[in-house]
Amino acid sequence: MTALTTDTPSNTHSPAELREKKDRRRAIALLTPGLLWMTLFMVLPMAMVIYVSFWTQTTFSVNSTLTTASWERFLSSATYLGAIWTTLRIWVIVLIATIVVGYPVALFIGLFVRNKTLQTALLVACVIPFWTSFLIRVIAWRPMLGTEGAINVILMKLGIIHEPLTFLLFSEFSVLVGMTQIYCVFMVGPITFMLGRIDISVIEAARDLGASFGTIFRRIILPLSLPGVMVGSIFVSVMVLGEFATAASLSGRKTNLLGNIIVSQVGSLKWAFAAVAGVVLTIIITAVIALALRLVDLRKEM
Amino acid sequence: MLTLNQVSRRYGGATALDGVDFVVPENTYMALLGASGAGKTTLLRLIAGFEEPDQGTISLNGARIDGQPSHLRDIGFVFQNFALFPHLTVAENVAFGLRHRAHAPLTNEAEIKDRTDAALQLVSLTGFGHRGVSAISGGQRQRVALARTLVCEPRIVLLDEPLGALDANLRSRMCDELKAIRERLGVSFLHVTGSETEALTMGDQVAVLANGRIMQSDAPDTLFSHPGNAEAARHLNAWNIFDAGLCRGDLGQGPIAVRFDQIDVSAKGTAPSARPSLQATYLTGEFNGPTALSFFRAADGTLLQVVDHLSQPRLPDLVEGQGYDLHFAADALRQFHGAA
Repeated sequence: MTALTTDTPSNTHSPAELREKKDRRRAIALLTPGLLWMTLFMVLPMAMVIYVSFWTQTTFSVNSTLTTASWERFLSSATYLGAIWTTLRIWVIVLIATIVVGYPVALFIGLFVRNKTLQTALLVACVIPFWTSFLIRVIAWRPMLGTEGAINVILMKLGIIHEPLTFLLFSEFSVLVGMTQIYCVFMVGPITFMLGRIDISVIEAARDLGASFGTIFRRIILPLSLPGVMVGSIFVSVMVLGEFATAASLSGRKTNLLGNIIVSQVGSLKWAFAAVAGVVLTIIITAVIALALRLVDLRKEM
Repeated sequence: MLTLNQVSRRYGGATALDGVDFVVPENTYMALLGASGAGKTTLLRLIAGFEEPDQGTISLNGARIDGQPSHLRDIGFVFQNFALFPHLTVAENVAFGLRHRAHAPLTNEAEIKDRTDAALQLVSLTGFGHRGVSAISGGQRQRVALARTLVCEPRIVLLDEPLGALDANLRSRMCDELKAIRERLGVSFLHVTGSETEALTMGDQVAVLANGRIMQSDAPDTLFSHPGNAEAARHLNAWNIFDAGLCRGDLGQGPIAVRFDQIDVSAKGTAPSARPSLQATYLTGEFNGPTALSFFRAADGTLLQVVDHLSQPRLPDLVEGQGYDLHFAADALRQFHGAA
């Protein structure tokens, strides 16, 4: 036995401890760039925005005397509370529309196309509109929806309508259409991913047990793809809630989102007021994401 | 009774099944033996209705079932990978068919629970109902898959290499249990496997599938001792198949087969003159515990195997690379006529 025991000097660390130390150092090294970035460009600016929201706003300037005046004005103004309501309404409608349009597309790509290459090709095809700039994609809806636009011209030629439909452009409708088109792909991607992971034999097993396609969809496919719907919803929510460009170019200034308020307040140098709107928007987005994460445990599903 | 009549299935240019004629009688454990890629799974998928045959008919108890949607065929399918529903508990998995089938679903929760519990008891999983399917072992998942299929009382149960994903110990235990469960239920099982031991152990009848056809379908002992053709003999992994022309004595031409355990070995030139014999070079030996395998190479390159049982050794001491006489009783050989 004595030949097998080796004396380790008691003053140094054991190999296990050294290894653990090394692992911890590596973990910290990996975390550092992200942490630095988040601190410099998220935590600090966020703190600054909250701070500025309590500054004193005069007509053309802002000074750092602390006051709650901007908050009081924001929360007592029907216009601004209306903007919150509009933002939430448009968010809910666009979210539902992207799910309604995106889910069948994802179902087709993820489940009915069994060829992996074709799957990838179709997903890429969904992203092709993103090769042009955001603004062009939004503005392209004008010749489509306008009174002299494609849809009105076609409907008039077919004799279905006699007067051009005016609600199509420069209305909340056009904002909804534009946003649904732009953000749909962020819904399609995650859902396709989750559907693609469903083992085809699980669906065959359900069929073999006597379930019709409708039942299989409700009981197997839908529950298994819900995490994808949740991830897609988070993507869409974050982008829609912070939107301003689509509303600015397609609503004819009739639809004011929180994002539009921030833009116009910054434009007129009302920094404190813009900061209030920014904080409110951040709170709403945080609440929405927290809610979504409560509904689905992503760590378990991914 | 399940009857397949001239069933063919092609994938592009490749023919998976080429005119299969096959009968699974009532109340039978039928084992279907075939090499991987022989079309075993395709055959099951055609019966279950996940795919349709290009030609031929499939009928169950006299009524044609090909062309019917698979969820109306009333056939049980146990998948090789179990295919359990990952988001449901064990009990919900088992109750799925009762609750959600299109034809006559059960709505009485008490009845569903009773039948689910009975099915879980049948596969010795009482008390596991509330568990998630990811929280049980591979063998238990296998039983859940079986219970899920059996609870619907299908007219026939198809098992696609059901023991393939289990380790050897569990496999032999599940063998016994599958047989016992089937006998209790009185329904026919069609069990597909690539292992000849599994097929011979499990089957009341064993069918050999090769080259897209059923080569032979017989009771296991008949199949083992009297394979009807070279393909069937090859799949049993117990027969040497070689050309009759290699042997001394007038055996004619064409392939013949002699079982591994029916060949004796003597030093070169000392084979008894009354027995057919051939010369071969000893290559190497393989020790398997209760038996030992010796490999020989015949003059035309055919590999020959001889089994020796440790309790009754009958081979002399063999030297690698040296030539020996292999001989056997004249009635031990099987001669196949027609195509090999």
